Amino acid sequence: MRRAAVLVALIVLVGAAPAPAPAPLDPPQVPVPAAVGVLSAKVVAIEGLDMLSAQDLARLLDASRFWRADVRKMVLRARSVRITLTVDTPIAIVDDRTVRLAGSVRSRNGELFVPISLLPALARDSSLARLVFDPVARAVRVAPPDGFVGSPRVQVVAGITRLTFPAERAAAVEVAGRSRARFRLRVPGAFAGNLPDSLPGEGLVRDLHVLPAAGSVLFELALAPQTGGFRLLREEGRVSLEFSGGVLPGLERFAAEAPAGPRTIRVIVLDAGHGGTDRGSTAGTAIEKDLTLQLARLLAPELERRTGAVVVLTRSDDRAISQEHRAEAANRARADLVVSLHFDSYPNARARGVTVYCPPADAPDASTSGYTPVSLTPWRDVALRYAVSSRSLAESIVGALEQSGFGPVRVRERLPVPLLGVNAPGVLLECATLTSSDDVSRLMRPAGLRRLAAAIAEGIVAYQLDE
Amino acid sequence: MNKSSRLARAALLTGALVVLVLVGVRWWASRAPRGVVASLPADSTQAGMRSMTLYFPDPLGERLMSETREMLEQETLHERTAQLVQALGEGPTRGGVTILPTGTAVMHAYLDDQGLLTLDLTGAFRQAFTGGARTEELAVGSLLRTLSDNLPEVKRVQLICGGTPITSLAGHLPLDRPLDPHDWP
Repeated sequence: MRRAAVLVALIVLVGAAPAPAPAPLDPPQVPVPAAVGVLSAKVVAIEGLDMLSAQDLARLLDASRFWRADVRKMVLRARSVRITLTVDTPIAIVDDRTVRLAGSVRSRNGELFVPISLLPALARDSSLARLVFDPVARAVRVAPPDGFVGSPRVQVVAGITRLTFPAERAAAVEVAGRSRARFRLRVPGAFAGNLPDSLPGEGLVRDLHVLPAAGSVLFELALAPQTGGFRLLREEGRVSLEFSGGVLPGLERFAAEAPAGPRTIRVIVLDAGHGGTDRGSTAGTAIEKDLTLQLARLLAPELERRTGAVVVLTRSDDRAISQEHRAEAANRARADLVVSLHFDSYPNARARGVTVYCPPADAPDASTSGYTPVSLTPWRDVALRYAVSSRSLAESIVGALEQSGFGPVRVRERLPVPLLGVNAPGVLLECATLTSSDDVSRLMRPAGLRRLAAAIAEGIVAYQLDE
Repeated sequence: MNKSSRLARAALLTGALVVLVLVGVRWWASRAPRGVVASLPADSTQAGMRSMTLYFPDPLGERLMSETREMLEQETLHERTAQLVQALGEGPTRGGVTILPTGTAVMHAYLDDQGLLTLDLTGAFRQAFTGGARTEELAVGSLLRTLSDNLPEVKRVQLICGGTPITSLAGHLPLDRPLDPHDWP
């Protein structure tokens, strides 16, 4: 009787085990290089077949999932397309088409898995995201709507340095930064190429790398100082960017930058952020509006002594002033540079350090002579004219702060509110993070603010000397 | 207890075990796939589940982190934007930072034929916000990236607050113009 009971149990268990899978078919093999910012999902092997979870499939197709427990079916609805999957059945219904799969849809640990042989059948529907299998990474990826961007190549032909690369949406490529030090090109799509191992020594491109960007590729180039102009050529499926050593007709100009060598600085405007009812960030006993004012008062004599410039404060007491008044004060004083002093705070105490905001170099230099198409810059954005100088100022200041132990430091190119309508190079300086105990203890110790002021002054002197 | 009664008890126990195994196997086979609400009976009448990508700032304030979450599908633009903003306000589950001020919600959402989304948020978005330029940048970036990733028809976003235009969150970064999600972190 005991033997009989064990036998019954074994029969029950064998009966519950899954049936052997049908013979596998070859999965679709589309070689796709790993690309930045592309949605992807790992493929898993079940019963010898490459499978994708239905949850991942829905995510990649941007589909909604509906589970019908009574018939063990899952319906994925992506736009107007319905994909029906049935557990333990080697068939999928895509709208009104029946697709034979390489194996059955399986349920494992509460998830459905679909053989990737379904993918070629989906490719017939143009309204769905295009899914491709990368056999090397064993992942299914979404081909981005803007396509892939290929490897750039740099050549020098007859004195012209030319950068070319394939791009599916060449017509939408645009220049995002016109500084020689950081020339930026925004290309819709996902980067699926490689950067060149080396650049031609006689060329004008000194460095080339890719910056992370949402939904697009941002190439950043460092150009030789003698680069005179550039031309962007958008062809079918290909983009060329040419740089010449001189200013030739038809070439576009770079953002304005001061000539190399020491800079003349007669007037420095220090803008103590916040004030009056606007307390700014607060953390414990540290109040931003008080710290910015104290710092401005310490920094002013230091700068006057070390740069020989006249220093003007936008406020010298605890009162609220509007942004328009701050900009007007800077312009009325004919500022050669403006530093808006702030202190940061953040919801997490681990964040610390210094952040500097400066205007982005995305506007051409309209101040130089020669023919340029009429372009109007709103007065609000006038600080964009000084983007390259402002970036130099930002880097000089963060360099000095880092050397003095006020790091970590970061520079962000974004036109900040305190520089709206300011007709001068300038930066918004978040001198420290008040929610960081490290930063606060550094500031609050004796002479902490004085050390900070000395470091900022050191950076401004370095900018003045163009070191 | 004699030998035959011991055998009978063993058979009874084995039988009970078999029934338990059967019930267990049946329960396992009929259980709904993970992440799907089992009570959804028919796809034509009920809302489905959808994977949404949310962006939260990292604890160091350096960048945004993505987090995929399963949510009920919504019909209208207002419902979809409201759902995303609510999820951002509830915060991350995998190590990011909650950046939207408490009480931030969508009052109105309007999408024009150029892909410009005008998003009217409750006054709390601005009034309850605290932080410096970096916090502002990451808060706005988190909102823009989340909206543009999950609503592909959105190309630019104009933020307004309590029905009135805003120039900035806390005086650091301008919000008076339509914002392109590509320009944010």
